[in-house]
This record gives sequence, structure tokens and C-alpha cells, in this order.
Amino acid sequence: MLTKYITSVTTAFSPFNPRSGKTVRNFLAMLPPNARSTMAIDVKMHDKSAIEAPTTLAVKFKDGKEMKLDVEKLKLRDIQTEIDRHSRILRRQEELTG
Amino acid sequence: MPPRIRLASVPLRRPAATQGPISGIEYVCRQCRNASLAAAPAQIDTVTVASPISRHPPTQPPSHKPPEFRKSQLHRQYQSMLSSSPLMLVFQHNNLKAVEWTGIRRELAAALRKVDEEMAKAGNDAYMGSSMKLQIVQTGILASAMRIVEFWNPKFDAASDGSVPSVHGLSKKAYHAARKNKDLQHGLEPLLSGPLAVLTFPSVSPQHLKAALSILAPSKEFPAPKRKANPAYHEPQIQAGLQKLMLLAARVEGKVFDSEGTKWIGSISGGIDGLRAQLVAMLSGVGAGITTTLEAASKSLYLTMESRKSVLEEEQKGGESKE
Repeated sequence: MLTKYITSVTTAFSPFNPRSGKTVRNFLAMLPPNARSTMAIDVKMHDKSAIEAPTTLAVKFKDGKEMKLDVEKLKLRDIQTEIDRHSRILRRQEELTG
Repeated sequence: MPPRIRLASVPLRRPAATQGPISGIEYVCRQCRNASLAAAPAQIDTVTVASPISRHPPTQPPSHKPPEFRKSQLHRQYQSMLSSSPLMLVFQHNNLKAVEWTGIRRELAAALRKVDEEMAKAGNDAYMGSSMKLQIVQTGILASAMRIVEFWNPKFDAASDGSVPSVHGLSKKAYHAARKNKDLQHGLEPLLSGPLAVLTFPSVSPQHLKAALSILAPSKEFPAPKRKANPAYHEPQIQAGLQKLMLLAARVEGKVFDSEGTKWIGSISGGIDGLRAQLVAMLSGVGAGITTTLEAASKSLYLTMESRKSVLEEEQKGGESKE
């Protein structure tokens, strides 16, 4: 996954939710070791009582685009595809200008 | 040249109990076979083996999974870890570096040692903190080991003739027992994916838990040590590592708690002794309540009778004055 062009990740999820919780946790595990210094990461975890609470995952990019991902529907691979699609556009722009 | 070691060239015999293939594969000793070919003495049929050879020592019963694999040994190790630690914290680690792990482990060990020393001063010199360990686990193997620990009953004392039955967590029986109960849930299933690390405690000790939480997952209730008190904790490496460590849940005596529940356990002041004191205070309060309740009935009856008596007396007086 291309994480170079992400500036912020905001998420709220319940780790006990077997679908969305897993997806978000695995997404967070895919960010590189120095992610906290290159992007703003805001993680909020719901309690066990709020398993069905709405799960949100929002990613902001360097060009200002904000991408809200529907974790209930998308799987990890789909999220990766979505992010990579926009990151590749940004990479291309960077290559052409720089 | 004939071989120097002359081996009995008869195929090795099994004891009667283990006749027939054990796991579907006939055991063939290649070395013996080659030796017999080389030696090839004429009187093969007359030689008999004196004593039947046991396939395995009684303390090492045969394993369903190949025991020489790292996987099997980790499985066995996780089973023992799960069954011997009543309190276990589950963390997710998101790409921590080795230096960050070392720093976090060092700070954790220092904090736990401090708690140990305080408890030793108070008379409890078990020094449990030294056996608390923060380790990365292989998630899939932990999930499998968890099912075996939760849903398989080894029944160590089943044999009536005094012999110790050969049961162990890697056996076929254990495997099938854990597989069979697919509907049973131990509560940690949704968490058992992704990169996990566990901190295991040999006993439920809220003091140690409190120290560990204030280092690994600081919050309002469990503030991290101040920069003045512990400058090493505020090194950028450790802080960067802690940001990437997420407390997911705790497993306390087989039950699953979320992070709020974990904090609640950590906030039990004074540990098990504190709890006992609280219980005693509560019970004595209840006792006092019962005595007052029981007294109240008689008191109220007394008061009613008294008031009635006074009313009657007044009436009598009133009647006398009227007359």
C-alpha cells in the first residue's frame, strides 16, 4: 500500500466487531513504523458494549482530498485498492512536476 | 568387510497394545533394514527379540502433530501459557521496531520491579513481577491453542488402575475436542487476527496490572510516570513505540474484558486484600442494617402502643373532667 501521500487517518471502531474491527485493525497494522511522524493518526476504540456502533475510517491525502471509507462493505484489500488508486495519481503528478 | 555392529536382523516387534498402524503410517527403521541387508545371516527365522520395544517413553506419549516442528512447540507453549496465566492483556502491535520493543520491555520490567519491592516491604515477597512477560505471539497458533485450553478437558485423573493416561494438548483427542465444538465461543475470536502481543501475569494482581497499564496504555486513571520521576520513559523511541501499541482486551480467569473493564480491574485498590477488606466492611454494614430493621418493628410496635395508651389515658381524663 502506498502510504507516502497520506496526511491523516481518523478512525473509530470496536475491536470486538468481527467484521469492521478486524478490517480497521489490519489497516492500522499496514501503516509503516514511522507513520506517526509523517501523518496524524487518530484512533478511537469503542467498548465491548458498543460492538455495533458505527465504524468510521477517513483518510486525508496531501492534495487535500478526504476519503471516507465504508468499512462495513469494503474489505482490507478493497481499502488498499482505493487508497492506492488515488496515491498513484498523486505520484504521477509528483513525477511530472518534480 | 562385514559390519562391525551386528544387529538382530529380525524386524522389530511392537508390543501387543500398539499392534497395527498408529497414525496410518507403518514405522520403518531404515537403519535396521540396511544393516540386515548387509549382514544377512542364514538363521533369520530362529532369532527372536527378547523384550518388546516400546515405541515411546511413558512420559512422552505420541503426538498428533509432528513434534519436531516449531509450530507444534509454539502451540504447546501457548497452551501452557494460557492455562497458567489467569490474567492476560492482549495488545496489537503496529510495526514496532526492535529498539522500541527493548525500551518498552525495559520500562515495564522496571515498573514491575518497583511494585514487587513495595509489596515485599508490606510482607508479600512473591516477586511475581519478574515472571510477567510481554511477548509477541503467532496469532493463528494462539487461536488454536486457546480453543484447546477452553474446550478440551484433559481428565488427567481418569485411569482407575493408577497409571497416568497419556494425554496432552497436541494429541488427536485434544484436536478433535477443540474442533468439534464449533458453536462454543470463548469471546476473544474477533480479536485473534493481525499482529498480537500478550502480557501474561501468573496471578491476578491489580497492583502489577496498574503499573503495567500506566506504562503500556497510560490514561487518566493510570497516568504515565512524570518526566522528572522517570526521564527514560519519555525517550522518543519509547514514546513512538507506545503510540503504536494498542490495548485491545484482557482475559481474566477465562472471561474477556475490554479496555474499560481492564482499567476497572486495575483500579481495585490494595489487590485481593483490599477487596477482602471492602467485603468485610460491606458485610458488617449489612449486619448493622439487619439489626436496625429487626429492631424497628418492635420499636414501632412499642411506639404505637405507647401512643395508644396516652390517647386512652387522655380520653379517660377527658371523660372524668366532663363528668
